[in-house]
Amino acid sequence: MRSLARACVSAFRVSTRMRVVSPWAYLNWLVFPLLFASVGLFVLSRPGAASSHVAYGILGGGLIGYWSVAYLDGGNGIQDERWSGTLEQIFAVPTPLWVILLGKILGSLLFGILSFLPTVAFAYIGFHAALPHLDPLRFVVSMGVLTFSFLAISLTLTPLFALWRSAFTMLNGFELGVYILCGFMFPIALLAPWAQGLAGVLAPTWGARALYGSTMAATPQDLAAWWLASIGLSCVYLVGAYFAYRLVGKRARISGDLALA
Amino acid sequence: MSRVAAEAAVFARSTYLQYVALFQWASVRGYLAYKVLLPVTQIVFFVELGVYATGRQNALYFALGNAMQITANAGIFGVIATVANERQYGTLPLLLASPANRLVTFLSRAVVNVIDGISSVVVGLVVVTLLFGLDLRQANLPLLGLCVVVISISTAGLGLMFGSIGLVMRDAIILANVVYYVLLIVCGINFPVSRLPGALQIVSYSLPLTRGVQAARDAAAGASLAHVGGLLAGELAIGLVWAIGGYALFRALEGYARRGGLQEAY
Amino acid sequence: MAAAAIEAVELRKTYVTTRGVFRRERVERAALKGTNLSIGRGELFGLLGPNGAGKTTMVKIFTTLLLPTSGLAGILGHDVVKDASAIRRRIGFVFGGERGLYWRLSGLDNLRYFADLYRIPPEVSRRRIPELLERLGLLGRERDKVEHYSRGMKQRLHLARGLLNDPEVLFLDEPTIGLDPVGARELRSIVRELADAGKTIFLTTHYMFEADAICDRIAVINHGEVLAEGTPSSIKRIVENQGVVEFEVAAIPADRLAALRALPGVSSVAVADHELAQVVTVHCARPTEVMTQLGVLLEGIPLQKVSSREPTLEDAYVQLIGESA
Repeated sequence: MRSLARACVSAFRVSTRMRVVSPWAYLNWLVFPLLFASVGLFVLSRPGAASSHVAYGILGGGLIGYWSVAYLDGGNGIQDERWSGTLEQIFAVPTPLWVILLGKILGSLLFGILSFLPTVAFAYIGFHAALPHLDPLRFVVSMGVLTFSFLAISLTLTPLFALWRSAFTMLNGFELGVYILCGFMFPIALLAPWAQGLAGVLAPTWGARALYGSTMAATPQDLAAWWLASIGLSCVYLVGAYFAYRLVGKRARISGDLALA
Repeated sequence: MSRVAAEAAVFARSTYLQYVALFQWASVRGYLAYKVLLPVTQIVFFVELGVYATGRQNALYFALGNAMQITANAGIFGVIATVANERQYGTLPLLLASPANRLVTFLSRAVVNVIDGISSVVVGLVVVTLLFGLDLRQANLPLLGLCVVVISISTAGLGLMFGSIGLVMRDAIILANVVYYVLLIVCGINFPVSRLPGALQIVSYSLPLTRGVQAARDAAAGASLAHVGGLLAGELAIGLVWAIGGYALFRALEGYARRGGLQEAY
Repeated sequence: MAAAAIEAVELRKTYVTTRGVFRRERVERAALKGTNLSIGRGELFGLLGPNGAGKTTMVKIFTTLLLPTSGLAGILGHDVVKDASAIRRRIGFVFGGERGLYWRLSGLDNLRYFADLYRIPPEVSRRRIPELLERLGLLGRERDKVEHYSRGMKQRLHLARGLLNDPEVLFLDEPTIGLDPVGARELRSIVRELADAGKTIFLTTHYMFEADAICDRIAVINHGEVLAEGTPSSIKRIVENQGVVEFEVAAIPADRLAALRALPGVSSVAVADHELAQVVTVHCARPTEVMTQLGVLLEGIPLQKVSSREPTLEDAYVQLIGESA
């Protein structure tokens, strides 16, 4: 058990070290969130805007950055080993692949959560926008629940991206669709009923909802239910991930394409 | 074959090859993802954001602005992507060492992207009109179409500048990504340019898209060509300035590369 | 199976790929066609064959990276299909080349990372890593990034990584490819030392002299089939009763070549194109007879550097490969 934990921590350290020197990483956690935050703040923080609008303007950019890093960086955990030519080596070690990927994804998430720093600072400095209300404890718990949902999704996406290149292409194309359905910058109540139904099966939707709920003047009654919904869905994804990993292992060993980019 | 016909043949062949050989999404799924899904979801995202902030009556404002901005996708990314791909496949030095007419090669890249840009906008607008039930009965549709064409051309001019930068900058595509989203902020796509600080407004009017989006909005409200002619002329002029600048930079960099200054770029 | 370190019984591997975009065609390629091998503990075994013979496929099956299509493969008594995790703890493998290391990390960081992935206790890796660095001549450069290492250094780092878990069985896939002669020789002597220390080593190569120099036993493979197996001396005996006649010509016409092949006692004729001439190598039972016939057979064609010699292991290899082509 200790040796597995050590392997996980090692994967976390190594991937973080390599991420810090990659220009794309900065694009995802710093530049894009700031750009989206700018548009969001201009649109949402007009004089006289409702406090809920302001909250979306302040936190929306950070959420977008966090999600982008989680799925782009975390989700490509297997693919980037393939691109760096080390996939065969890590595939054949005694440590299970998912333990190594867990370490890498935790590194991605740490990087991603940093998106909140520049965006919140920018909101305050550029627009004098601050969260009018905040329940710190519920906010932290909601952030934890959201993080768990991103972790579950990244762990699920990693084998899927390795199995089907087109999955990555499609998700890339649908990136803003995720921002819409998960309610990162505006509530999903705006959407058509069918879209809201679709949004409801996404774990981050409930996490984001709880996060914004903790910034309201009157904390919603359903916060705990939203946490549970998010955690429950995340667990369902993890079950799917388990089968996806087995499939990756089997397919890779049959086709022998671990060495191919 | 006369000289003109020969150049035209080169132009046509070059254009076709740019498209087929060098576009990254050379598959149905790739096309769907980057040329349909991405533009449509961008428009939907900002329309919903705008509706949340300002009410459903303003949906058309956001839809039009973002639909026009989508053309910049083809214009900017298209040229940079072809340069980046040529570098990746190792054909960039070959291109620069060839006797090909530079202007013809340069322009052939832009043509593909203009056509691409127009198609993206059309798809985006059609989807969004249906999704949000936008009312275009008052719109001067032919003029709106003209605005789309003009914006496609002017943003391709911007793309040519970045394509030239892409000759020397290895990660130029990162710059292209940033510029694409900066356009969302400074070109009056989602909020009036007047809300920006003064200095930034100068940037707004130095870029393509700003005047064209304004013209498109006026066209959607039923304006005539006489009303928006000045804006469209200004839009074309700005695009031309960027294109000329891009071409000059391209020739300058080429000369510099030949004198041995840019070996690392390849 | 208990006695053998590495065992293969009727091992087969067929790759299935699809060709074409609109009308997908299913293409099967048999990389291994029923291979049988048994390698004892402590042996240094060499697998020889040209590119595409099936060497890497076999190594990947043994190292649990690839599943066989049929047949059995076992390492230290464990089945590669069912007991992959038990095998992974006890083997090391080195594929070499430019890939397989994290370029942006130092050599030391690469080793530390893989030590953790191999679940080696920290107190063990703290001692073992410096020992490996010293033994493989990387001490002093371990903190440099791998991207600044020479080809030879990268290969040695690969070997260090392969030895981190002190494996009982070590797989080396073309370990000296791309190395300069000095570097290659150094690596070969390290490999021999490891075998002498009791490790079982399975080495693939297409350099005959390498196998002859260090291996206890070798097998020659081509088109997925083992053509011959044994000690270097026993393989040489394939060409024992053969002599070799060699000569140079500007160009040998096809009809004369056919006539040469048809001579009694001639088992194979190989033609190698060099810059200014062709070198023709004739394996035959009675070299003297062949030499006397050459003048008649190749009348009108100037011959140069005609010689006859004893066959080498390389000749045996060329004959085996040539026959199987």
